[in-house]
Amino acid sequence: MPSGRVEADLAVEDLARAKSGIRLTVIAVATVPLLFLLSGLVIRYAAFASVSPDPSLAVYARAFCKWDCTWYVDISEQGYERFPIPGHSNVGRWGFFPLYPMLVAAVRTILPFSTIAIASVASLAFGYLSCLVAWPLMDKNMRAYVLYCAFLLSGPFSFYFATFLTEPLFVLVTSCLFLALKRSSYVAAGLSCALLSATRVVGVLAVFAIIIRMFEEHRAKGGSVIGFPRWLLGRPDLIIAILISPAGLFAYILYLYVTVGDGFAFVHVQRAFGRVTGNPLLFLWEGLSYHPRPGWQPTAPQWSALTAIVALALSAVLAVRRQFGAALFCAMALILPLTSNLASMVRYVVGLAPLTMLTAVLLSASKPTFVVVLIVFVATCYFMTVAWLGGYLALV
Amino acid sequence: MRWSELTKSTRPAVLLCGYAMAGALAAAEIAILGLALNPNVNEDYRAYYVDKTTTCLNRDAVGRYTPGRTVSFRSDDARETAGMRVCGWSGPVADGTHSLGESSRLRLALPPLRDGLRATLEMAAVIRPPQTWQRIVISANGTDVYRAMLSGDLATTVSFVIPHAVLAGKATLDMRFDYPDAIPQSADASNIYNRAIKLRSFRLDAL
Repeated sequence: MPSGRVEADLAVEDLARAKSGIRLTVIAVATVPLLFLLSGLVIRYAAFASVSPDPSLAVYARAFCKWDCTWYVDISEQGYERFPIPGHSNVGRWGFFPLYPMLVAAVRTILPFSTIAIASVASLAFGYLSCLVAWPLMDKNMRAYVLYCAFLLSGPFSFYFATFLTEPLFVLVTSCLFLALKRSSYVAAGLSCALLSATRVVGVLAVFAIIIRMFEEHRAKGGSVIGFPRWLLGRPDLIIAILISPAGLFAYILYLYVTVGDGFAFVHVQRAFGRVTGNPLLFLWEGLSYHPRPGWQPTAPQWSALTAIVALALSAVLAVRRQFGAALFCAMALILPLTSNLASMVRYVVGLAPLTMLTAVLLSASKPTFVVVLIVFVATCYFMTVAWLGGYLALV
Repeated sequence: MRWSELTKSTRPAVLLCGYAMAGALAAAEIAILGLALNPNVNEDYRAYYVDKTTTCLNRDAVGRYTPGRTVSFRSDDARETAGMRVCGWSGPVADGTHSLGESSRLRLALPPLRDGLRATLEMAAVIRPPQTWQRIVISANGTDVYRAMLSGDLATTVSFVIPHAVLAGKATLDMRFDYPDAIPQSADASNIYNRAIKLRSFRLDAL
């Protein structure tokens, strides 16, 4: 056989092998989160069935809808109140951002299912999609990817991704935003940020990550620090990306102004929830030192404070790894709610995709750690779900 | 299409469109911000949510009441007092309706009166040693009509006159209770949760 023919055959074989390898990877990337999605459903159902006298699926979906979930159900079904609030209430729904309830309401007009059923399925779907988007963000590190999927879909806090809370959508859109930034698609990042800013108030802070990425690109091209504003002004696409980033928030402000008369009603209504602004360090200290009864078990405020501290430390690790945009976004998204108190801190941390991805990368550094953590994630899913269903305060 | 891929001929037009869009976005956001900084809300909304000068959000609640009858503010008469309680109350529970915040309000519709009214209220102070008292200032339709200091945790019956002058020409009686010594729930808790009194019963008699 001529040598040229052999080489060609070998090249075709290599290509086929590479194609088959890619196909296998694609199948693995799609299948891993699907398996964890299913195992998560089974584990959470087992936890639910162990505490509920009625194990029906309708009761199952409703049982997970706790705390803020009920507000989102009401917004999706009834919208926002005008002022005065009906029923002589002080507490309007204005503090809860509209994107996710709107999406669920839109789906409900097409599908004949209850709000919580649609939202539960949507949350699971968002969780699954978040995993897929995370794959390129984790530099195709399969061990880290498996841990991340296990954490989101079958892990100790997977119940947040199985009910009507903003975290599933927030994680998905945050992942899309950072993927767009990784590819230097600034307008896509800006549009993602606009969606993020309509999902939760801290979403708008991602605009700083976009600006930092622009600055990094400018510097990488040899631009000077002083020359950055000029470079930016010469690129209308970048200006649009920045200006479109808070569009979701501004749209909501306009809506509140038209309906309530107060564009900042989402801030002002915090008074009715008894939130007072203060020093985050003091809140952390008070949380850490709150242990009124004897015993070794940490209290709910202690868990919240510890979670916040670990999350801030992880933000610092992001900065050390030169992921400055993600680090700043996460730190600000933690410090802003910390200025009122420690409420919902665990949920907020779980909803910060750059932090959970980093945790997955760090914990998958060695094979034994990876295996142990994977087992811990799946095992604690059951017990944490029981705690959530029991209304454990640290998980609010 | 990436920015670098624009040709020389298309660049000026795309630039112009880009700047126009950026300008429109900036203008819209500034306009919305301007609206948000100037809320179009009523005084009650502003006082409670924006300026935070009150803990009691005034609402359009008006209860029905016929003078000469004692109304219980314990949990046994919850329905009757529901309409009267405008804001600043929590409960009712077994030992009365608890004040919430730095002031509370009751509002009730009254038939036309030829003279003033005598109000008789049974109240107990919420105390937390070393503070064993609560000052209370009661006003009717905006005029101070009674000041008292409740001490200890036993209920006290207070009685005072609401002059005809503050009722004349008014279809409702708006009673406001101010608590200068209300006790915060904790050092960093919002003042909307302050506690001062437990109102147990309420009665008005025509003079």
